[in-house]
Amino acid sequence: MPMVFLDRLPVPSIRVYTTISIAILSCSVYYAAQIVKDPAWRTNQTEIAVGDGNNVTGNGIANDSRTIGVHLEELLACMVQEPGCIWTLINMAYCVLILLGKSIQKLVFGELRVSERQHLKDKFWNFVFYKFIFVFGVLNVQYMDEVILWCAWFTALGFLSLLSQLCKDRFEYLSFSPTTPGWSHARLLGLLAAILALSLFMLLLCAAAAFFFVSFNTFAFMAAECILLGVRTIHVMLRYAIHLYDTRGAAGNTSPRSWDKRGPLAYYTELTSELTVLAVDFLHHIHMLLWSNIFLSMASLVICMQLRYLFHEIQRRITKHRNYLAVLSHMKQNYPMASRDELAENSDNCAICWEKMESARKLPCGHLFHNSCLQSWLEQDTSCPTCRLTLSMQANHRDSPLELAVVSQTPVRRNENHFFHFDGSRYVSWLPSFSVEVTHSRLRGDILALAHSNSQLDAMARQVEQLFPHYPKNIILEDLRVTRSVELTIENILDGRLILPHHMMEEPETEPVAQTQTTVLPGSFAQNSWDPRFDIPAADSGEEPSNLGGRFSKSSIERELILQRRKEHMLLSARRRYLEKHRNSESETRNANGNLS
Amino acid sequence: MITDNLYVNIMAGSALRRLMAEYKQLTLNPPEGIIAGPINEENFFEWEALITGPEGTCFEGGVFPAKLIFPPDYPLSPPKMQFTCEMFHPNIYADGRVCISILHAPGDDPMGYESSAERWSPVQSVEKILLSVVSMLAEPNDESGANVDAAKMWREDRPEFERIAQKLVRKTLGIPC
Ligand SMILES: [Zn+2]
Ligand SMILES: [Zn+2]
Repeated sequence: MPMVFLDRLPVPSIRVYTTISIAILSCSVYYAAQIVKDPAWRTNQTEIAVGDGNNVTGNGIANDSRTIGVHLEELLACMVQEPGCIWTLINMAYCVLILLGKSIQKLVFGELRVSERQHLKDKFWNFVFYKFIFVFGVLNVQYMDEVILWCAWFTALGFLSLLSQLCKDRFEYLSFSPTTPGWSHARLLGLLAAILALSLFMLLLCAAAAFFFVSFNTFAFMAAECILLGVRTIHVMLRYAIHLYDTRGAAGNTSPRSWDKRGPLAYYTELTSELTVLAVDFLHHIHMLLWSNIFLSMASLVICMQLRYLFHEIQRRITKHRNYLAVLSHMKQNYPMASRDELAENSDNCAICWEKMESARKLPCGHLFHNSCLQSWLEQDTSCPTCRLTLSMQANHRDSPLELAVVSQTPVRRNENHFFHFDGSRYVSWLPSFSVEVTHSRLRGDILALAHSNSQLDAMARQVEQLFPHYPKNIILEDLRVTRSVELTIENILDGRLILPHHMMEEPETEPVAQTQTTVLPGSFAQNSWDPRFDIPAADSGEEPSNLGGRFSKSSIERELILQRRKEHMLLSARRRYLEKHRNSESETRNANGNLS
Repeated sequence: MITDNLYVNIMAGSALRRLMAEYKQLTLNPPEGIIAGPINEENFFEWEALITGPEGTCFEGGVFPAKLIFPPDYPLSPPKMQFTCEMFHPNIYADGRVCISILHAPGDDPMGYESSAERWSPVQSVEKILLSVVSMLAEPNDESGANVDAAKMWREDRPEFERIAQKLVRKTLGIPC
């Protein structure tokens, strides 16, 4: 985010850069070689005046005896000493690093996607910005060679963290497809493992550095970064492992694996690694703030902002985790695990994940779900996914069957004047004292009937009437008597639950088609909710090529192809039907016109 | 892709399995007049659906393409749906986004009157969404103002609305007007 404008700087292409770097490097090598040719170059540098002829010849003889190895060593030593040469060496090192990065990208990732590239760019400038602040604001480095050392350190670190970021992005992308070939997972995992190994190596390196020459503070700074990198990498790897385990065989063949067991495992993996990263980062920043003694500088301001952000993140995670635990304990207390009989009786799949249930929790309404499916749903909503029964997160339902009775009418409220019963007798056995006749199915669950005087009802009816002048007042009043709420009556009208007398209807065929869809159990909905009016005559189905329908291929390419062909077929037959129909209607009108004349 | 939900990333696997199951079901038992599936299986979270205009309505005969974008925590959150052809309908925004209650998460209620019973829940599915869209095409809900002009025309000038709809139908079929 900072220094976005730098994106627009003209950056030479890698090829040009490499060529220039190599050219400069060879120039400086040539220059150094020229110097080293003179065996007395070391003395020449230190002692400017060398007049002793004897000395020169003596060294000249020694020159012949120098091996290539020694020669190269001297060359290198010379280059390190020459200020011009050392910059070309550093430049070359960066060039090699860029080439290395490029080849890793070619080998592992292939073409980068736009979002990955953008992410990478942001991360890069972010990293540069914060490290700049760290080196000059926090450490307050004065000497050039120290700066160079820190630069080297952060270059290595930044390189690895950019790679790990890229791995993370790519993994998230790959997790969107069930058909990723195994080797692309393997390459990515291999790269992640390499990053992890390197970050451990760097940790050892800074431990060694701490042992020999740097202060403990510096060690802590360096170590924190290594640990962050390592934990992030481990996090991606663990997530990857879980994902691979999870999607193994997603393409069709449903192996009996329960998401139940891995649900909490995945959750805690995620939670621990995220909290670890946040905590280490937080401590790292606090350390920086305390260590940089100048409290009122730009640097400390930036660090404070970062600290605030990290603190909020930690807080958010902990709140989320509290919510998780609350939902968990609520589920344990209130929704018993379904017995074997209940599972056998209810052979449907879990309605949330559409997979088989080997163990399940039972809601008061009798619907069964996987433990973790239910958990993740209840974290965001407090109703039964199937029947919308409102689940109060505080009250213990078993203690208040009466309240439940009213609440539970929601699912059947659209069936007019029915005996109140639930699907499956196990519900009744669970609440034996309970059987109600529902006379007004429009009753809304979340309100208990309160006595309203007639004048109140009249006032409410007027309110509704203003909105829907074409509805007769007696119908509105009748509905209000049941709902006791203006909003709910309006809702009923809008949903088409309020039946108008036939002659009043603008459109006699208007009846909410969607009405059954929300309440019907999966598996049976296709028959129930499909309005026969929309049935298209299956005249063309005979022409449909036999290889199109009724087959779900195991190969993704074939699936894509079949889907494509089905779409084309649909469009073609629709076009033919349309043209035929219009030809017919045209000729009909022509005939009619002819008859008239 | 990046949402607040801590589950998002670890949920992608289960979302993928569920989408695969739905795709399989929609392929093996396709509802009449509806085809849906991922455009490219490299991204299973983006589907294309073809919806045939319901018989006996002004959209009859048309084949309307739409895009479905699934969130990584599907089916906990609803997908987004957008027609990719030109549409003129009270419940479809000018950019093609569909405004029906089944696509709204239980938490948010942009229109302020939907009962939560019609909103999204994990029990819903692509098939149910598309069937709801078919019924929406047949019976617009002119109270929701996704396209105010269309709603007004639907109420006040039905023949003109039908004329526009028929023009769109011909357009989707590639038949010149
Ligand atoms: Zn489940
Ligand atoms: Zn239920």
